[in-house]
Amino acid sequence: MTSASAPPKGNFLDRNHYLLRRLHSLTGVVPIGVFLIVHLVTNSSVVWGLLAHGDKGHAGVETFQHEVNFIHSLPALLLIEVFGLWLPIAFHSVLGVYYAMTARPNNKDYPYQDNWRYTLQRISGYVGVLFIFYHVATLRWGWTFLVPGGTQWTAEHAASTLAMALRGHETDVTLAGLMVAAFYMAGVSLLVFHLANGLWTAAITWGVTVSAAAQRRWGHVCLLIGAGLMLAAWSAVIGFMTLDPAEARQVELRMLAPESAPGTDP
Amino acid sequence: MTTAPVTNPQPRGAQRPRTIRFRIERCDGPGKPARWEAFDVPVEPGANVISCLQWIAANPVTIEGKRTTPVVWDSGCLEEVCGACTMRVNGRVRQSCTALIENLLAAGVTEVTLQPMSKFPVVRDLFVDRQRFFNDLKRAKAWVPIDGTYNLGAGPREKPADQAERYVLSTCMTCGCCLDACPQYKKEEDAKEWDQSFVGAAVISQVRLFNEHPTGAALKPERLDFMASIGGVSDCGNAQNCVKVCPKEIPLTESIAAIGRAVSIHRIKQFFGVRD
Ligand code: SF4
Ligand code: SF4
Ligand code: FES
Repeated sequence: MTSASAPPKGNFLDRNHYLLRRLHSLTGVVPIGVFLIVHLVTNSSVVWGLLAHGDKGHAGVETFQHEVNFIHSLPALLLIEVFGLWLPIAFHSVLGVYYAMTARPNNKDYPYQDNWRYTLQRISGYVGVLFIFYHVATLRWGWTFLVPGGTQWTAEHAASTLAMALRGHETDVTLAGLMVAAFYMAGVSLLVFHLANGLWTAAITWGVTVSAAAQRRWGHVCLLIGAGLMLAAWSAVIGFMTLDPAEARQVELRMLAPESAPGTDP
Repeated sequence: MTTAPVTNPQPRGAQRPRTIRFRIERCDGPGKPARWEAFDVPVEPGANVISCLQWIAANPVTIEGKRTTPVVWDSGCLEEVCGACTMRVNGRVRQSCTALIENLLAAGVTEVTLQPMSKFPVVRDLFVDRQRFFNDLKRAKAWVPIDGTYNLGAGPREKPADQAERYVLSTCMTCGCCLDACPQYKKEEDAKEWDQSFVGAAVISQVRLFNEHPTGAALKPERLDFMASIGGVSDCGNAQNCVKVCPKEIPLTESIAAIGRAVSIHRIKQFFGVRD
């Protein structure tokens, strides 16, 4: 009988197989999942800001700009981004793709709903990696050559520049802009699914939900979380898609003005 | 004593036997190419896939009228308790002895396709070699250790509730349905790859069965180390096909979650140097 403490063989990945698998699961929930929730709530403020302060015409733009200003006022933002977001996302993506490549989907012979979730989780992972890369590269790292119209997103003009990136033009909606917006729609929808389904399976992976009844109950909760996030995600994309960049810019300039020239509010 | 007049026995059921077409994926041996052959089989009331295979064995003539070799299959109990006859019937893995033709027809099927299991090497035709599965059960130490040089005395007392929970797990007949339908379980022709590849739901469930056995629990740390290694419980992708195809309705996904939890606790204890 071999000893229980025999050191595991193989390369680094094999030796730390279990730890890496669990870290992969954990990073999906914290920080990435938590961030996605915060991010979608922030971005859908372009719609809920309007609903909350409906009496003011540009409340959506103002609320969103307010949220962005708050985020950009955080100290050591770049450090938070690198260690709290980009590295965990890169870790989750690289390992996720590596694990997903071991899958042998068989939905044709076993067309169960759970089996479709399984396959969709992997597809949404692949598409999600591409989408996040495009999203961060264009809007955060300023790779404007990938943006139709070449819009450069800035934190001071958060709503207007985002609207332009999604529309492809300042005054028009171009075909290329529509394609970017469609990619955003697909990207965020798949990522919301990936998170909701990931929350459901993480509870099994960690052994939180053991009985089939508990798995079902938690499944309903995840469905609700997913539906809420989906609503936020869609309203954000549609909200920015349908925003008039020129008007939004005026609102943003007005918000900037008191700082540069205090007391000269017209 | 009067003798009853001899009458021609009426076949059960009103209509005359129908003919059903069987398409069978055949293979002459390991490494040989697969080919398809079709047979028209008269179906008697109560027929199942095995009885049709027996008919084909007696009349190995394809629909083209070509005489061929009898189709080879494996079977034992013929009552869904040994698992030997497992194969893919119309794409879905199941026991062929309990695949009643009437039920297949009721499900709207007009032809029956038979294929060997997809995750194990074919020995011949529908007969596969499930060695790897048995090897994984050995790696899992799926037994109660009672061998020794002296009498161990009576076992510990059992709570009926614990016994009932284990009973259903103990009905596993190592048929391999849960492995064949699992999108994470890979076919490994090379035995050297066996200990790198996902072991599948049945083995995880057997780990739970023997860990929960009061005497079997002596080997729990070793079983959990095995479950934490590559190919262990963390390679499950939660597709939950396993639980849907298990003919014994074993709650495999509950076993997967229970072992996931046990391994997490086991690893945390190891990290802090606590003995299990
Ligand atoms: S739940 Fe796990 S073991 Fe069961 S079919 Fe899915 S991946 Fe395979
Ligand atoms: S768990 Fe079920 S499907 Fe899997 S081998 Fe055992 S009896 Fe067959
Ligand atoms: S012959 Fe034993 S299960 Fe079918």
